[in-house]
Amino acid sequence: MATATTEKPIDAHDDHEHHPTAKTYWITFLALLILTAVEVAWSYLGLSGPALVVPLLLMMVVKFLIVGGVFMHLQTDLKVLNGYWFTLTFGTAVVLAVCVYIIVFAAFRWDI
Amino acid sequence: MSDITVEDIEAAGTEGAAKIEDAAVDHDEVDGHGAHEEHYTSLGLSNMKLAMWLFLGSECLLFGALISTYLLSKTRFIIELVAGNPDVIAGISDGENGELVQEMIDQQSVEPFFDIPFTSLSSFILLMSSLTMVLAHKAVSEGNYKNLRIWLSTTLLLGATFMAGQVYEFTVFYKEGLTYNGSLFGTAFYTLTGFHGAHVTGGLIMLGSLLLLSFKGKMQQDRAETVELVGLYWHFVDIVWVLIFTIVYLIP
Repeated sequence: MATATTEKPIDAHDDHEHHPTAKTYWITFLALLILTAVEVAWSYLGLSGPALVVPLLLMMVVKFLIVGGVFMHLQTDLKVLNGYWFTLTFGTAVVLAVCVYIIVFAAFRWDI
Repeated sequence: MSDITVEDIEAAGTEGAAKIEDAAVDHDEVDGHGAHEEHYTSLGLSNMKLAMWLFLGSECLLFGALISTYLLSKTRFIIELVAGNPDVIAGISDGENGELVQEMIDQQSVEPFFDIPFTSLSSFILLMSSLTMVLAHKAVSEGNYKNLRIWLSTTLLLGATFMAGQVYEFTVFYKEGLTYNGSLFGTAFYTLTGFHGAHVTGGLIMLGSLLLLSFKGKMQQDRAETVELVGLYWHFVDIVWVLIFTIVYLIP
């Protein structure tokens, strides 16, 4: 016999209710479009070195985060996770992966 | 389903039968085999979505390796080209593109090969497809199947246009002397962008399947997560292009 419970179980589909609205998606798309246009314009300014590369990389990272956060629902899905071990695990993996790539680049750069 | 027999219900009487049915419903909710496939997970995130994220995590490592290899190969290629290595120059020369090769040597860059306005348009198309994909998911979540089909078709069309653009771009590059085997740069470039193209093609097949299921009436509101999972894959492909567009095309 099932017993009555006052606590609602966490449903894997509850997160759908927290997803952004269509208006948010359109605004996000416009932001991505503007950032891409600025990126392309920046590449035509005739700059070189860090003045060219750093802003382009920054804009790339912002676009990356916007797509991941809004379109892939990371912004809302991360909130529904119980505890933070999942986020921590992924975060650690990302940091480790970035370290590996930096070491690989350093190895080639200085012929280690 | 729980094992409830007719004899059990008759033995329990009308009131008892109602309680047994309630218990059966509760049992379905707990073991995750209910009509809507909803189930409890300790993360609050469905197992399918978690599996997709793990898959995308492994894809990040794959594309990370490909992008790193491209950057290292391009750098080595430019150094050798500017140093006048005859083998490297011969690898990208087809006898008619001397002006282009000389431009690359003068600029110490592979940029002369690229057509930035054309690739920018391709990027716009792929970004647009991400928007239509997320709107398709929103439509199925709200039970709006007409809009689901419209947005899925638009995403499919935009993705196919992007692929057509990539095929056209590859054809132009090949005619300009950039072959897969001719140079380290050519190998790294075609491998990276080719892998991305293969992923887009995989996404197109998934989108086509979703559209087909939708027309057959098998893509209902309770299967919105299936559309979301395909969407996650599609957005990942878009994110990878965001990286490729900046790193490969815009940074010379």
